[in-house]
This record gives sequence, C-alpha cells and structure tokens, in this order.
Amino acid sequence: MSKITVTFIVNGKEVTLKVRPQERLVDTLREQLKLTGTKEGCSIGECGACTVILDGKAVSSCLILTGQIEGSEVLTIEGLEVDGKLDSLQQAFIDHHAVQCGFCTPGMLMSAKALLIHNPRPSREEIKTALEGNLCRCTGYEQIIEAIESVTKN
Amino acid sequence: MLSYEFLTTKKIEEAFDYLDKFSKVQILAGGTDLLVEIHKKSSRLPHFDYLLDIKNISELKFIIPIDNSIEIGPLVTHSRLINEPIIKNNFSILVVAAQTIGSAQIRNRGTVGGNIVNGSPAADLLPPLIALKAEVELTSKKGKRVLSLEEFLTGPYKTKLQAHELLTKIKIPLLGAGYYTDFQKIGRRKALSVARLSLALVTKIDEDSIFRDTRIVPGSATPYPQSFPKSEKAVNGKSIFNIDLEEISKITSNEMVSITGERWSTPYKKPTIAILIKRALEEIIQEAKINE
Repeated sequence: MSKITVTFIVNGKEVTLKVRPQERLVDTLREQLKLTGTKEGCSIGECGACTVILDGKAVSSCLILTGQIEGSEVLTIEGLEVDGKLDSLQQAFIDHHAVQCGFCTPGMLMSAKALLIHNPRPSREEIKTALEGNLCRCTGYEQIIEAIESVTKN
Repeated sequence: MLSYEFLTTKKIEEAFDYLDKFSKVQILAGGTDLLVEIHKKSSRLPHFDYLLDIKNISELKFIIPIDNSIEIGPLVTHSRLINEPIIKNNFSILVVAAQTIGSAQIRNRGTVGGNIVNGSPAADLLPPLIALKAEVELTSKKGKRVLSLEEFLTGPYKTKLQAHELLTKIKIPLLGAGYYTDFQKIGRRKALSVARLSLALVTKIDEDSIFRDTRIVPGSATPYPQSFPKSEKAVNGKSIFNIDLEEISKITSNEMVSITGERWSTPYKKPTIAILIKRALEEIIQEAKINE
C-alpha cells in the first residue's frame, strides 16, 4: 500500500513526512517525530491521554489518520513550553499537585489549553465539561480543576 | 492490520469520481466511530480496499436557512452544531442531544453526517432528527435523491446509502408557532456515555391547549431509531390539563416491546422508557403552561 506525503505544522514547525495509510496522528507524533509526551491509552477515544490541539481544538490523536491533516496545525504538550518557560497551566499543575502518575497529564493539559484558547475565563462547570473526555485514575480530578482555576482567576 | 489505499480530497466532485471509479470504498469523515471499529477489528466493518477521506471538503460544512427549512452539511461537527445560533434558536433539541455526545474531543471531530450514516441504534442525533422530520440528500455522479431520514434507516447500522453515493445534505423543516421539543437521555455516566435509552419528543400545542402533530422517537430502544405511531396517536388530541401520563407511559412501553419482543434488557428498558416519555411530556406541559 502506497505511503502518503503529508505536510503540516507541529508546534510551530512545518514538517513533511511520508506516512502509512493506517498511521494515526498519535503514531506519527510518537514514532516519527519522537514527541512521546503525547500518550496512548485506550486507543478508542475514551481516555483522553492522546489529546492534542488540532487547528485550535482538542482532539483525540488516536482517532485521526495523519493522512487527513494536510495543511493543519498541531500543538502537542512539547509545544506548551516557550523559550524554556513552562506554560502557566503546566506550572499550575505542579504547584497544585495535579500530577500523580502523570500518564493523563499531557492530555489534561492540552484539553485545558484548548479551553483557555477560546474561553480565558471559564466557569468551574465549563472546566469540567472541557475535561470530560480525560480520565485520571489517581488524583480524583479536584487538584486538576483547582490548578486550571488558579490560572483563569489570575 | 487492515490493508487499504488511502484517498483524500478537498473537492466534492473528486470524491464522486473516486466513488464512481473504485469499488469497496469506505468513507472516512470525523473518524470517531470508524477508527474505533478499525482498531477493534469490528465484525460490523465491511471489507474495503480504499479509504476515502472526505473530512476536508469545505463544501460540505454549511449551515444555511433556505425557505422554511435549515440545511446542514454532513461535515458539520457536533461542536459547531452546539454553538451555531441558528440551530440554538430553531432546534434546541439538537443542541441538547449533541451536547450529550462523547466528550469535547469527540464533539470537535465527529460529524452530523457520520452520526446519521453510521446508523447506530444509540446514535444521539437520530431520534431528534427523525422527530424533526429531517430529510437526507444522497448524491452520486449519476444524480441526487432525497429520502426522509426515517426511510433512509433500514436496520441497525444499515441505511439505504449506496456504494457510489455520498450524504450531501440534511434538510430540517422549521417548526411553526406552538411547537415544543424535549430530549431525554440515560447513560451509565454523564460524559462519554453511549445512550442506554433516549427519547426525542416534538409536539404542537394549539390555542386550545391540545396536543397536535406529536412525534415520539426513542433511541437505543429498538434495533434502529424509529417513530412510535401508537404513542403519538395516544397523545394527539389530549389536553395539556388532563392528559393521563400513566396511560401514555404504558402505551409507549408496550409499543417498544411490540417492536423488539421480550429481550434480556426488557425488564430494565420497559419501566425506564415509561419514565422518559412521562418526563418529556411533563417538561413540555410545564413550559406550555408558563406560556399560557
């Protein structure tokens, strides 16, 4: 089966890659681009660990074929830090102990970031709705919500 | 792993060409159902040699009011449907139903057309769209045809879409004055839940407070969503002031069992659907009384 050539932007840099017809965005990010911050959990769009921001919106990178995203812009957890400085959401997660095992954290952060791009002052309910597709089995969510609120209230 | 050629296009005409030229083509849009089926190697998935990605065809992403209806492009995402003022103002039932779909990630990617064409018995948009008397336009290189959504669905995960056709439009007639809508859904949890049972209710309450033109379409209750004519008939002609909700509930429960027969889930679904129809009617009656 012939490979597909795709050009898209990842964390501000344009990349052109050859991808397999079955290759999902999560595979390309982790295997070709070595951006292993994006995690693969359930592989069926239910756990949110693979969440990235595609053209400004939170999406499950396990449910997108890379062949579909020609010309698109992808932001991953690696793209949040700018010039060695953590994004305020990342710092808030550390400050509020919103990380335990850490597996869900990149997805949580990308869902939170996508929310704040469109809605810088979300209500607690809006934060919960934005995170409803992200499962965390350690923290019980409370610290995660508090971390996000700390950013939105400043 | 499945082996296939990947086809993608940004032009609708090119999509029709592909569908005409190749056989065994599987269409891919938002991927929120299809990539799950592929991952699970689902037996529901037919064998295909080509995967045709239509997600980036901008011509299929419209929402426009035309005459007495609103036309929706099949590639409109659930998120867009929720946030579009024209949908909010005219078909709040669709917004409520779309909000219950999956998660933000799924709603950002999944499409209205995908929800229809996939034909799941639990598809969240099908009961409200059927209750709104939506029509679907199917197009191929040879021409167009229009079917009511209800006749388009023929079985669980089965529709009248032919191999060379693409769903190109969903047309929903506007509701006139006096119409009320309600959507109920029960899932195992609030987010990411597949509907255990849902119910869409569209009805008109005339100036004498009488129910008219009632449409009742439960989801996950029957092999595929369909209207419940006996229940609709039972509601029509009743006054909002003295309708016997217990009687209607019984009729709806029995109508469901008359379609499905007694199944393993019947002891749960029979009393539950009775509650859903009662709740939906109660909410509409309350709203109508406020408007009196």
